[in-house]
Amino acid sequence: MINAPTNGASAEVTAVDTTARWPLLFLIGSGIVWLLVSGVLALITSIQLHSPQFMADCSWLTHGRAVAERETAFVYGWAANAGIAIALWVLARLGGSPLRGTNWLFIGTLFWNLGVAIGLVGIATGDMTTFAFLQLPAYVQPLMLFSYGAMAVAGVLAWSGRRADGTYAAQWYAVAALFLFPWLFSAAQVVLLWAPVRGTVQAVAAGWFAQGAWTLWLAPLALAGAYYVVPKVSGRALRSYDFASLGFWTLITVGAWSGGRHLIGGPVPAWVATMAVASCSLLVGHYLIVFLNLRGAVGAGGTALNFITFGLVAYTLGGLLDSITAFREIALQTQFTLVSSAQQELALHGALSMMLFGTIYYMVPRLTDRPWASAGFIGAHRWLATGGVLLLVLALAIGGWMQGADLLAPKTSFAAIHGHLKLPLLAVTAAYGLLLAGNILLLVNFLRSACVGGSTTVTVTPFRQPLNMEATAP
Amino acid sequence: MKNGPLFLIGLFIALVLSWAGLVLGSHVQFGALTPYYDDTEGASFPSRSSGIAARGQFVYADLGCAACHTQQVRRPDFGSDQARGWGERQSVARDYIFQSRPQLGASRLGPDLTNLAGRKPSAPDAEDLMKLLYAGSGLHPAYKFLFDEREIVGQRSDKALTLSGKLAPPAGREIVATERAQSLVAYLLSLNNGYDYPESRPLPKPAAGGHGGTTAKHGETKMPEGKK
Repeated sequence: MINAPTNGASAEVTAVDTTARWPLLFLIGSGIVWLLVSGVLALITSIQLHSPQFMADCSWLTHGRAVAERETAFVYGWAANAGIAIALWVLARLGGSPLRGTNWLFIGTLFWNLGVAIGLVGIATGDMTTFAFLQLPAYVQPLMLFSYGAMAVAGVLAWSGRRADGTYAAQWYAVAALFLFPWLFSAAQVVLLWAPVRGTVQAVAAGWFAQGAWTLWLAPLALAGAYYVVPKVSGRALRSYDFASLGFWTLITVGAWSGGRHLIGGPVPAWVATMAVASCSLLVGHYLIVFLNLRGAVGAGGTALNFITFGLVAYTLGGLLDSITAFREIALQTQFTLVSSAQQELALHGALSMMLFGTIYYMVPRLTDRPWASAGFIGAHRWLATGGVLLLVLALAIGGWMQGADLLAPKTSFAAIHGHLKLPLLAVTAAYGLLLAGNILLLVNFLRSACVGGSTTVTVTPFRQPLNMEATAP
Repeated sequence: MKNGPLFLIGLFIALVLSWAGLVLGSHVQFGALTPYYDDTEGASFPSRSSGIAARGQFVYADLGCAACHTQQVRRPDFGSDQARGWGERQSVARDYIFQSRPQLGASRLGPDLTNLAGRKPSAPDAEDLMKLLYAGSGLHPAYKFLFDEREIVGQRSDKALTLSGKLAPPAGREIVATERAQSLVAYLLSLNNGYDYPESRPLPKPAAGGHGGTTAKHGETKMPEGKK
């Protein structure tokens, strides 16, 4: 062991980490690059909301397209790359054997990122599908599916070849995310792109996919990391662990049923929205259990846990807000407004990104067997990210609430509404600026830690059974 | 959860159930809606849109207009959609059966466009829309790339925009709408859901003590039970 990472936890680098080093660093690195691309696009789209002529002459960045590009770069670029890296690492570590199938993983990552790049150019030239979270043009979607399959080979091998007897919550979430996404993705492709269903059934199917992508893929990827890191760093078993499986299965069985969340009062049967109310209410159980399980992270200190604590609070709060705004009386005012954007950004930037950051800060020193290049950058990133998310979500929520009230008053013109929104929208731009600045620090720090630096000789220590560190259950 | 295969089967069943319930269920219930034939008018509704308007919907989709505009009117007692002149009735599933990719939208940074061509008291005409698309406004981006600036050869094109002031092109040149701009405007001008389907009418109010406001409270879209 060469040195300790900056967060103070002991660096127990194992064969698992050394074999998986380059494939996983490749995944994380590409994820962070896409995060920056998405951040630049977010800045552009947010400026366009208060100054509509900004970049309007550039057809590649006209507002509608730039919004789709931003979302795609975030979900398929950042969250997918980083999340898959975390899921595979967690599966390999808890399975107790080095990652296998790393060639497949490498090829898959290469083509996945190629697909994201082609997809963004496709959206920019007018081939977006217009379905939320599924904006990638139809012609790259098969490529995405195949390259995902190649990446998942490593996960399948790590899961089926695990040495340890029991399984842990971190593994459930990792396996669920890896296993469910291809089904979700291909089923959505079939009913929306290859053999599209008619009329507004498409809206229901698109809602099912968008909610499924969040509850069955993105959130589990983030939770896999959090459930692994929290007990590791705090050195204590997860609290109330007996409830973990209930929380897990609630999310898996109920999550995608909330697909009608955005169709309240829309041209679909009322039961679609009612089902969303019911499932969002049931999901509150899941959010509370996750909070109970991971509450050991709150106030425990350390880089990784600081990020994860923020993510955990944002995740729980976001879940409660989802269940409240699913009710018709509230949706009357919040639907179609920036409140929806606030909820989405709370979930994506507040919960998902923060948990991924926390896990990455824990994971990268173990992969590289070197501490992070700069502790100062980590601290700055933390404050920029925290401030950015808080400002972003508050500005969007307050602006959206005012916008909703204005929309309900038929005499208020759109010019007046935009006049009222000016200040919140400027704050949103500032918030995206903070987030982008923080993420640039992350990229620089990551590159310096991964590529630059002294000797790369690694001492491999025998794998340490993590049993005592993980959970109360064997 | 020591049993690996059982775990995976459980995951799979959970996903299939949600897919079957939401997507398949919706498809079975209203995936095969047919146009409504009105005996008195001797025509069926909705009517298919013309070729150019159908092409225009693709332009609408590829520019991502749905990022700021919805195309779904909520029922009169749910929000201010009716009061804003966006539509006299709620949108129903049957309105969309001929649209290859309905653009319901989820954000109203701009107005709803469901009934743009039937807007009360006055609907915009082609010239208004062309000018908005070319020049933009304080609230709306410009789409200059949908227009060509070219030299006037012989007679002025009948597709040329009449612009004045700062926007006017230099002498001897004209601004002409491309085919994409023309189909987009044709599409926007085809947006009109004037016809009242049986399922879009509010439920009859109860005879006694019916002061309105409670009708069809939770029935966004009543599925048709035949003609009433």
